[in-house]
Amino acid sequence: MLAYTLKRLLAGVVTVVFIATATFAAMHAVPGDPLTSGKARSAEIRANLKARYGLDQPVLVQYGVFLKNMAKGDFGISFTQQNRSVNDIIREHFPISATLGVLSLLFATLGGIVLGSVTARFRGRWADRSTLFFVVLGISVPGFVFAALAQFGVLALNRSAGTTVLPVAGWGGFRFMLLPALTLGLGTLAFLTRLMRSSLLEIVNQDYVRTARAKGLPPWRIFLAHQLRNGILPVVTLLGPALAAITTGGFVVESVFAIPGLGRYFVQAVQQLDYTVIMGLTVFYGAFLVVMVIAVDIVYGFVDPRIRVATEEQ
Amino acid sequence: MSGPGATGEAAGAAVGGAAARPIPPRALGPEDFASAPRTDAVARSSRPSLSYWKDAWIRLRRNRQATISLLIICGLVLFTVVGPALWRIDPNRPELSRISEPPRWDTRAEVLAEPPPFGETVLADVPPSLTADGAMLPSPASLELIGRATVESVRLRWAPVPGAAGYLVYRSTSRPGGDYLGLPMGEVAAGNVVSFEDAFNLEPRTYWYSVVATNGAESHAAATIEVTLTPGISLVDAKVIDPTAKPGDFVSRPLRPFGTDFLGRDVLARLMSGARVSLFIGFAAPLVYTLLGILLGGIAGYFGGKVDHWVMRFTDFVLALPFLLFMILFKVAFGSGPGESGIGPMLVAMIVLAWTGAARLTRGQVLQLREQEFVQASRLLGARPTYLILRHLLPNTLGVILVSLTFAIPSAIFAEAFLSFIGMGVAPPTASWGSMCNDGIKTFLVYPHEFLFPAAAISVTVLAFNLLGDGLRDALDPRMRSVE
Amino acid sequence: MSLLALRDLHVEFSTYGGVVKAVRGVSLEVERGRTLAVVGESGCGKSVTFQAAMGLIPSPPGRVTHGSVRFDGQELVGATVTALNRVRGKDVGMIFQDPMTCLNPTMKVGRQITEALRFHEGLSTGTARARAIELLERVRIPEAGMRVDHYPFQFSGGMRQRVMIAMAIACRPKLLVADEPTTALDVTVQAQILDLLRDLQREAGMAIVLITHDLGVVAQMADEVAVMYGGQIVERGTVDDVFYRSAHPYTLGLKQAMPSDAEGPRARLEPIEGSPPDLFSPPPGCAYFDRCPWAMKACGPELPPLWPVQPGHAARCWLHHEAATPRRPPALFRGTLMPGSAA
Repeated sequence: MLAYTLKRLLAGVVTVVFIATATFAAMHAVPGDPLTSGKARSAEIRANLKARYGLDQPVLVQYGVFLKNMAKGDFGISFTQQNRSVNDIIREHFPISATLGVLSLLFATLGGIVLGSVTARFRGRWADRSTLFFVVLGISVPGFVFAALAQFGVLALNRSAGTTVLPVAGWGGFRFMLLPALTLGLGTLAFLTRLMRSSLLEIVNQDYVRTARAKGLPPWRIFLAHQLRNGILPVVTLLGPALAAITTGGFVVESVFAIPGLGRYFVQAVQQLDYTVIMGLTVFYGAFLVVMVIAVDIVYGFVDPRIRVATEEQ
Repeated sequence: MSGPGATGEAAGAAVGGAAARPIPPRALGPEDFASAPRTDAVARSSRPSLSYWKDAWIRLRRNRQATISLLIICGLVLFTVVGPALWRIDPNRPELSRISEPPRWDTRAEVLAEPPPFGETVLADVPPSLTADGAMLPSPASLELIGRATVESVRLRWAPVPGAAGYLVYRSTSRPGGDYLGLPMGEVAAGNVVSFEDAFNLEPRTYWYSVVATNGAESHAAATIEVTLTPGISLVDAKVIDPTAKPGDFVSRPLRPFGTDFLGRDVLARLMSGARVSLFIGFAAPLVYTLLGILLGGIAGYFGGKVDHWVMRFTDFVLALPFLLFMILFKVAFGSGPGESGIGPMLVAMIVLAWTGAARLTRGQVLQLREQEFVQASRLLGARPTYLILRHLLPNTLGVILVSLTFAIPSAIFAEAFLSFIGMGVAPPTASWGSMCNDGIKTFLVYPHEFLFPAAAISVTVLAFNLLGDGLRDALDPRMRSVE
Repeated sequence: MSLLALRDLHVEFSTYGGVVKAVRGVSLEVERGRTLAVVGESGCGKSVTFQAAMGLIPSPPGRVTHGSVRFDGQELVGATVTALNRVRGKDVGMIFQDPMTCLNPTMKVGRQITEALRFHEGLSTGTARARAIELLERVRIPEAGMRVDHYPFQFSGGMRQRVMIAMAIACRPKLLVADEPTTALDVTVQAQILDLLRDLQREAGMAIVLITHDLGVVAQMADEVAVMYGGQIVERGTVDDVFYRSAHPYTLGLKQAMPSDAEGPRARLEPIEGSPPDLFSPPPGCAYFDRCPWAMKACGPELPPLWPVQPGHAARCWLHHEAATPRRPPALFRGTLMPGSAA
């Protein structure tokens, strides 16, 4: 298991370097010198930045400087907000996004497993059909539409209740997180519900489920001991992509709900063409997702004995 | 004819060891035991067989959801292609006199008389500011309208409240309940000024105006009046359409069935031109990147070995790039100059990033097929690679690829909407459904139509493609035959 | 009273292409401690018959449309799941064809073996583990104490089938239904598994239903044989009756399609021409009509009854009718009960 983990981590490092390289290449292709675009204020700053990033050096040297800085965990300084390093920005805003993300991932995963099981159990019946309809809706409606409708709904609720039942926007205690987290998790919830359902339906016809029935086990026991465990496996493998979806979905939801998270900040940086922040955050997000995918892989190894034992025996 | 029950009984009796002789259900004569001609039997035992695609088509047609989705998609394409020819309104022409008009079918508008200049009603006999003793104040009495309430102006008047230091005026689009009185429209800062004019963003609908007297204490009783505004058009604007228009006349304005947006542009026309962008990206990007993926995946799968290794290694890396993040990055990197729509860079970015899925799928399929007996047999019989690919590999992967393509279209539409929504998609004034949503959400709470129409368009389109994809997958997957 | 008695069992599957009448009136008995082999080619309904009897066919699409299944006198058709579960796993153990897919890949084999024990007999985890090791030893898996904590993918095919057998016999069942237990295994492993089954039967005195298409397996194991074709039993009797006194053309065909020492190394194997009947619309008469070399006019429209040819031996064939005497081939056993022979 250790060797397996190390191997995955090594592959992860290579992937992060690739992401950083792609980021560098993309930003280098930006027409014109980013420093002349009026974003960097004084000549002094400009000279400092030039020296820091080696902007007067050949491309390869710049690339080396960039990689070195990234390896040190130094993502640079914002072009538009003076004296604010990208690291500061991450430190300040990422915990908010992470809190929101964890909440919605929990909601999406647990909800997906439960709803998927219910729909598979009542396949073809009313509960299945109606849930599936909402699932397809959840997959088809963009996150910002949910966000807007949720805000509108809460506004109407507050108005009819005469008090603030739930805050419409902003960031504070759990009450503020509830609506954005649900909105953010909805698409993933729908996706995972579908996955769980089809995975369970496939398993219902597996030979080992028939074996379990031949043993005379009651249906709930067969479900818990045989179907659920195997049915969750595909859901676990797709937690990585689900996390990526929630991360990028956070850009929109944080913007709509005016949450001071990293996603909203990233969108702002993109709109203001704050190049260092864009580069730094892209690499940061990329590395974060790579680490998460590795974490999911390792978790999967524990859930699926075929992988765990096979790697232990190597 | 012997029923199965009868034979069953006979069998049971026979096996039980009894020597009872079975009795034929009808007396059979010697002619029944002549040897039987063997030709008529063969035809009976084979059912007509359907070709794979014909069978899939029949199953797709039986799927109600998929059929409806297909019709919706056809309608959508018509809307996009034929629509602009029928609805010839420039989607980019702003009309500042008709900003954020809700959908309306009535094109006639009454020309409103220019309201006389508003003078505040100042009561000379009441002192302007009374002693603020912090006592709770009653609601202003006899709250009423001055003149007609039109979309040009609403004027209110009320009786002074003794002890008031001023008045607050609120406007609400629903009957106020509890603490909520609506948007604060203004404050009158003197107790003897007892009138107010509201000319802010008025719409032809019913408002509830509430007036509260203030004296520095926290909350006071409100007087509320229900006001239904007369729709109309100002004399100045009417004269643009008809120079002879007089107040009280009716002029006819161009129809805006879906209303107008925050710049007074026609929402229907923008929906149509936005559909062009959204559907163009939705169709073109997946087509190109799926083809690219098939090509690369096919090469990797067919040749195997080193080629496979490097192509797939590269695929893994591209796959590791977070899709939307790099879409944004590439959009920034490619930039878009003044006057460009920004569609091109988005298309290129999507193609560069999204081909990996199709490549992996194709490679997997080809690898699997390559080892199958019918392909090996064909190769053994001397089939050339081109023949093998065209005749065996391609047709057998087509179903899976078609399904993945159907699901790629809605995700491309989604990606475009996402990018345009965060302002990284098409450049203004080009409309796309995503950018329309972005514009509309800012005023969603006041003018929901600007957001809801494009949002519904995206949702219905993506829904239709998803349902069609589901239907197609079920229809093309032979395993689904056993179900239902 | 027979241990298991099927009476006129009918099973249908609703599929996309129509209704498959998979089992069409099967009646048979299994006696205590005896072995019944059910023989027939793929798709003849032999597996479905017993899975339906134990309530194991997926429903929908499958359902028992007619008939009765009595185990130890208790009716199983239409019984509740709870009632069925008092029989399944406890009194009836089952082994299926493919040991690769019949074991849960993510559960340790020990747990899988003792699942039934813990449920039916309420054993504690510790006792159950000891019993699992004991059972693994009984099916002759070496190092049972270690293997009990392994996952199925760590076992070879033959070993997995032993695990399946250990699972099936955990509760000392009165009946073991073995559905093609050796088909997916190597020939040498096949013999070991059959030996094991015979030994277990001797020790425990349980009855075995052996579902197979392999006549060699039948000859080694069976006391009685039922030959199935097109969802029906076409011949049944003792193993000697069916092998040496075959009374149905299909049984004759099967024998000719099987290699045997008796006919020498140069003997040709004769395949049965044609294909089995379409069970979407089964023929009204004899299911073998299309392929039978001695088919007569009556065989097409009229379903032959299971004709007793001697005590305990019956065949579903019109050739045993007295009027068909001239058409009867010499290879076909005439029987002692036949009117033709009496005349």
